[in-house]
This record gives sequence, structure tokens and C-alpha cells, in this order.
Amino acid sequence: MVELDHRFENGNSVDENWEAILDLDRIIPCVEGGSVIDRTSPELAQAQILVKMGAMSMTFVGTVEVAERDDEAHRAVLRVKSRDKGGSGYANADVTIDLDDGGGDVHTAAQISGKAASMGEGIVQTVLDALITDFTQKLKQI
Amino acid sequence: MHTLRPQDGELIVHTGKGGAAAKAGHDLTIEVTRWKGTLDHGAMTLTADPRSLRVIEGTGGMTTLGDEEKDGISQTIDDEVLKGLAIEFRSTRVVQRGSRLEVTGDLELFGFKRSLDFALNVDEAGRITGSAFVKQTDWKTKPFSALFGTLKVADVVEVSIDARVPATVAMEALHG
Repeated sequence: MVELDHRFENGNSVDENWEAILDLDRIIPCVEGGSVIDRTSPELAQAQILVKMGAMSMTFVGTVEVAERDDEAHRAVLRVKSRDKGGSGYANADVTIDLDDGGGDVHTAAQISGKAASMGEGIVQTVLDALITDFTQKLKQI
Repeated sequence: MHTLRPQDGELIVHTGKGGAAAKAGHDLTIEVTRWKGTLDHGAMTLTADPRSLRVIEGTGGMTTLGDEEKDGISQTIDDEVLKGLAIEFRSTRVVQRGSRLEVTGDLELFGFKRSLDFALNVDEAGRITGSAFVKQTDWKTKPFSALFGTLKVADVVEVSIDARVPATVAMEALHG
């Protein structure tokens, strides 16, 4: 399990950010290489992420779900469950977004197996950190 | 004028890697499979087909590169790095020092033309060897990166040649 903490600030009101992070059509493309395949319901989407690894590309396909939401505290957990399209590995994560006025904290708890995990925990952590950092940069413009 | 082609030798590109996830990447040896060089009274040209680079070896990564991965990288080089843009070198000055030729010229790469210096060793049997070091950012190109920017191709790539010409051509190159 890799756990990472990040913060974003975009100056938006907590209500504006709350609406944005619960809109899976808006939030999923904020992940580089991420796209919505099908919005199954307001709180569930089929999605995929293409990860360029230089030597190869990996596509993870699965679901993104608003697994928990606390409208009063403006805290939500986005649950990602995905499998490596070309292999037997998986990438699952709980992304907890805790909003306040002007931004929010993002806590990521990820589990990765298969080819991606074979890079070693240190590199997986580095790569995930870069992915989430990029994600929080995009949240600034959401 | 003497013309060299792939059957006369090898034109090889060596790339290194950098970034926080460098351990996951490979140092690559890439063969240029279609190229043409000319030697004409001390003047030199080299033209490489940008769609002809093939990865022949990858070392230093965490996994062994199979044929599928090598083909994938070759395709990425074609699609995202060289994009079919001309690769052409034309010398503007060649200075001979013993068996060494110090070459200055213009290299067109990534759509830009910049000056490039390198040295070649020429022996009397006709073997020509040498390397040029090309810093991609000098040609206004950001080195290819992957894994969200944590794995990068090193800015400087080495281009080496090991070719044979007839001894008479070698003598002419060395002694005019």
C-alpha cells in the first residue's frame, strides 16, 4: 500500500469545488491519460487510464466510484478499481478529498500489482506522487 | 565523391536516461537502418531517414526488453520524437590532425539547424570511426519523458559511426 498526501489551492469556494470533484466527467480527465468510458450513474463511471512507460504503455480499465460523501464536511472518497488491460495486474486506490474554502487536501491510498509493481515500491511511489501532483495542479483550474 | 550506405558500416544512436524513476528505464542502442554519407575532397554530408531508427538493445532497466517492447519504442521515436523530420548534416570545415579529422558543420534535426562539432578517426585501411554528441535542447526539443515526467531520456545522445571506405578514399580524406 502506498499512501500519499497532497494539497491543492484554487481560490474557488468550497461549494464550487465540491460540485466539481463529485462530477466524474470533470474529475477523471484531470488524471493524465484518464478518460471516462461510460458514466454509469451520477456516482459511478467506467474509466480508463493510459500510462506511458517509455518502453511500453499500460492501460488500466475499471471503475471510479464516489464511495463516500459527507456533504456537510465536504469530504468525499473516490474509489478506483482497475485492471491492467494487457496483463494480470491491478491498480486500486482510495482518493480522499477533504475540501475547505479555496482548496483541499488529497490523501491517496493505492495498491498496485503486476508489471507496474515490478518497478519496485520506491519507483511506484515516485511515479504515483508525480501523477497525483499533476492531478492537483489540474484541480487548480477545474 | 565517395558514397557510404548502411552496407558500409553502422550508424548507431546511444541514449541514456534520467529522472526520479530512471531505474525503471533503459539505456538504448538504436540503429539507423537507412542513411547515406558522402566524402568529397574533405567535405562531408550525412543524411539519415528519420523513420528508419530501430532499437537493437536496451540495458539497465528493471525488465528485459523483448522484441515487442523494442518495436514499441521504435514506433514512439518515429511518432513522438523525430516525427519524420529531416536529419541532415553538412560539413562547413574539416581540419586534419594526423589520423583525426575535426569536423564542424550544420545539423538539421527536429526542424532546426544548429552547428555541430565532432571528430572522426580514419585509418589507412579505410576504417572511419567517431562519435558526435547531440544535446537535444540545443535543437529546441525537450527530451522524451514518460511516467508523468519521472523517467526522461538524457538530453545528450551519442551518435556514432563505424564504417569502411576504400583505402584510397581514406588516404584522400587524410591527405587531400
